[in-house]
Amino acid sequence: MKLHLQTFLTKSRTMLASSITTAVVALAANVPAHAADAPTLNISGVWQFGQCADGSRMGCLILQEDDARLTARAKAYRDAIDEAAQPKYDCGPMSIPHMWTDPYSHQIEQKEDRIIFTYGKDDVVRTAWLPNANHPKPAKNEYSYFGASFAHYEGNALLVETTHFTFDPQGLNADFRLASSTQKKVVERYTMEGDQLVLEVVTTDPFFLKTPWVYKVRSNRDPEPLALPWACDYEAARDILKQMAPQYPQDPAVVRLPE
Amino acid sequence: MKKLFTLLTSLSLLAFAQASFAHHSTNGIYAEDKDLELKGTVKEWRFVNPHPLLKLLVVDDKGVEHEWDVSYGGSAVAHLKRRGYDENTFKPGDKIIVKGKPALAKDIYALLMEGSNPTHEDGTPIVKTSPNAGLNFGPGGPPPAPAGR
Repeated sequence: MKLHLQTFLTKSRTMLASSITTAVVALAANVPAHAADAPTLNISGVWQFGQCADGSRMGCLILQEDDARLTARAKAYRDAIDEAAQPKYDCGPMSIPHMWTDPYSHQIEQKEDRIIFTYGKDDVVRTAWLPNANHPKPAKNEYSYFGASFAHYEGNALLVETTHFTFDPQGLNADFRLASSTQKKVVERYTMEGDQLVLEVVTTDPFFLKTPWVYKVRSNRDPEPLALPWACDYEAARDILKQMAPQYPQDPAVVRLPE
Repeated sequence: MKKLFTLLTSLSLLAFAQASFAHHSTNGIYAEDKDLELKGTVKEWRFVNPHPLLKLLVVDDKGVEHEWDVSYGGSAVAHLKRRGYDENTFKPGDKIIVKGKPALAKDIYALLMEGSNPTHEDGTPIVKTSPNAGLNFGPGGPPPAPAGR
């Protein structure tokens, strides 16, 4: 019995030591990944609306209605869908990358396992998960207005990749009815140049863009907090529709859902 | 008194190019190449998002009163707050003067007021800060925020 107990204790000690060793090795294995991901970039704070680095003010942020990068499909969709059907008249927010076209400040919060982007319009809050969050990838059938975002640091840059957007009738430009598909992919790259935040955006969409849409904007820190909540007002959002003739007058008048 | 607030449409329709304010989202809605000055009485001011609403009662040169929608374009509460506006900037009954681009469509009484500030009857500005207040947009001032969103 004594022998059995001693054997048991010895085995237990061996197992415990083995477990500790395994845990230490596992932790050690994780250290380099975390260390590589440690932010050396401080971009937390409120930032003003970005201005194009090419000097075009907001020119780089706008896909024009006949932009050479648009596919024939994009132009056909643009012509077919009427203005009144755009989600913006139902207080629908702009998604990325078009969201940054609007002149609103935005806030970045660098957390240990995620980056939180709060936009000064439409109460938009996006979360980009860092590797140590181990956040699951979206399921194949999981799409959303702002997609699924995953971020990582590369030296002095923060990269955010977003996919799994839902089809969006105003996904590339809400002013010209330029849509984006479920295949849209947006890559953001944040760096600092002096006191300015630099955001480079690369958007691809094989359905609606022939070539990537790339732009770079610079922002200054905004001393004022974001003016939220947005509290969109339906009447105010739709007011301008009174001045537009319907594109499909043969259709029954649109009666929108009650508030 | 009514004459004092008579619509000055025919007198103040000044055509001059303002390419810097051209924005495609207002294509087909406002006459980008025309300026209009309105003298009227505030009916309603709603300081709401996405775009504050200003309703102005204006009597035309035939003595007929029309309700005008005065738009700040794409400006929202946050933008106008930085310019000094708030929910009490206008009160029903206030007599004011506004300048902007009239709607293109016939029988639509709407004005796009961008790049200018409304004034009292005597011409003094109602809001005293600059249109670019609080935002470092650099040369050229703020970009034209698109209407309708």
